[in-house]
Amino acid sequence: MSSLVAEAVQAELGAYEPWPDNACLYQPYQVEQITFPDYANCLSVKTFLHMCGLEFHTEVRTNAEEMSPSGKVPFIHVGAFLVSELDPIIAFVNTRGFQLSRDLDEGMKSEMRAYMALIENVMVNAELYLAWIDEAVSEEITKPRYGYIHPWPLNRLLPWQKQSNVRARLNSVGWAKKTMDEVCDEVKTCCQALAERLDSKQYFFGDKPTELDALVFGHLYTILTTRLPVSRFAEIVQQFSNLTAFCTRVEENFYKKYGRDF
Amino acid sequence: MVKLSQEVKLKLERLQLFKHISILIDTCRGKGSSPNGYEVLFEVRESRPVTGGINTLIGNNDASLLFGIKFPNIYGRGERLQADYTHGTKQVRGYNVSFTKPINANPDVLFGCGLYQYNGEYPWSGYKELDRGILFDLTFPSFIGTHSLKWEGVWRDLRALSRTTSFAVREQAGHSIKSSLKHIYVRDGRDDPILPSTGTLLRVTQEYAGIGGSVEFAKQDVELQYNQSLLWDTVLQFSGAFGIMRSLNTKNDIKINDRFFLGGPLTLRGFNLKGVGPHSDGNALGADAYWLCAAHIYTPLPFRPGKGGLGDLFRTHFFVNAGNLGNISLNNNLRENFWRMAETFRWAYGGGIVLRMGSIARMELNYVIPVQLQRGDSVNPGLQFGIGLSFL
Repeated sequence: MSSLVAEAVQAELGAYEPWPDNACLYQPYQVEQITFPDYANCLSVKTFLHMCGLEFHTEVRTNAEEMSPSGKVPFIHVGAFLVSELDPIIAFVNTRGFQLSRDLDEGMKSEMRAYMALIENVMVNAELYLAWIDEAVSEEITKPRYGYIHPWPLNRLLPWQKQSNVRARLNSVGWAKKTMDEVCDEVKTCCQALAERLDSKQYFFGDKPTELDALVFGHLYTILTTRLPVSRFAEIVQQFSNLTAFCTRVEENFYKKYGRDF
Repeated sequence: MVKLSQEVKLKLERLQLFKHISILIDTCRGKGSSPNGYEVLFEVRESRPVTGGINTLIGNNDASLLFGIKFPNIYGRGERLQADYTHGTKQVRGYNVSFTKPINANPDVLFGCGLYQYNGEYPWSGYKELDRGILFDLTFPSFIGTHSLKWEGVWRDLRALSRTTSFAVREQAGHSIKSSLKHIYVRDGRDDPILPSTGTLLRVTQEYAGIGGSVEFAKQDVELQYNQSLLWDTVLQFSGAFGIMRSLNTKNDIKINDRFFLGGPLTLRGFNLKGVGPHSDGNALGADAYWLCAAHIYTPLPFRPGKGGLGDLFRTHFFVNAGNLGNISLNNNLRENFWRMAETFRWAYGGGIVLRMGSIARMELNYVIPVQLQRGDSVNPGLQFGIGLSFL
């Protein structure tokens, strides 16, 4: 309880300070270490900050996950504040006066929230399922990467521990027992909904990006570009040409144009 | 022969297998006995095969229950198996299983192994740590003192204690495996471990970490104590300690959970617990070298109340203690480092009362005047209370 109050007070206090030059985003090593669900989350946060036009630099740390106040990556270090995961980061950035969805009316805002919840409930779970539950992907890719920086026996123990945590999480939402086909159906329905909302617009809510655009880009781009033994998710996303075009557009406007790396 | 049987009795007592041992010596009377033979009879009462206990421990900010069970002689050759389980108010604090065996029934040569898990909080540095470890050790005497060789493999999960933990500490969060070989040499000639009146103690600890695992360092720690009795039961005590460590892998710094800390009511009096040396946002960061020395004069309580009884557990003492904690920079040469450690030292003096608690711990209530301190130190001038197992 006291920590909740402290958090609220911190966020309140943060409101009056400008965005500092030394804002930092912490994440695991991209080439050898990061697992792709984490990569998607990091990419969403980075895209969101770029869309807000906020300067930050990325710090890679092998222990980013353990450093994070919530135990999840990425997290940002701004002045005296540490904020992890996309939703709290959006709320924190809002207190500094940056809000992408400012021009939307209340109805649109709640629609945007609904789509964001859809991504959290479907895409995130589907990614975790593919990374940790699917036998081929978890044994060949996810586990070796997760344990990469640790010596024996931690390189076996920690991935195994993480896998059982993820399994417990998916089990609580009824996803652990699904088959791959059922998961693919969920992903397909989710993409269908997104594609219909996007239609032929630039971004999901007109020609300005919103928080939803950052979140969708993070996940879809990761699915499209990560090479895995099982590529069914990528095949599903590729069926929706407006979604792939959207990914190319965001990449062009917020990364390539400025010569930024992911 | 009487002397020999007495030695056997002593040895049996030190193995701690029996509650009571008595010796009966008589002449031999049986058939075929030699005319001047003797019969030596040892009458023993065995201690219980299983003992157990439940204790309450009060820590810094929570209480815990300790359940213990002990088999003092599990296989009949002095092997001891002990298991403890501690449950705190917030979480399971830890468990510990250890097994020791005297080699060749010699109570001085001991082989031991153990398995443990421990959940510790270190509020002075703002972190908590979960340790899971396994250890093997061998203790044996030599003509210069007692040696103990120990191998320990421990998986440590370090996390920031709260949101207010300094970022410098948070950066060190994560898993590490320490596999280390430790050699402890002790030569203890004192007449009492807590309030000695004569004798010297020398304890040298060397630790080498880096046989596998992700932590690589070498650590050296020396402790020395000299006691001299003076007139009227007064004891003069000089003690000193120093330690130094260095990382054996230039890529990795030594983590906070391996470093040295200094300060506290029983070590460098006049400073708060781990209050000396580098700090960041109020969290002690530790360093890789320290030195500490102290001079005490112990006297019995004034007018000696309770002499021969309770009063003998107390002493008054006056002391001066000085020390320093700092990092050794590899850019400077040895002499520069040495001078830096010598120049920026801290010192304090004072007096107070010492209470001896059993033969392992002591309690002190002192009035301390810190004289020299450095920026960033957390000082405790005036009354200071301390209780603990290690002191100088």
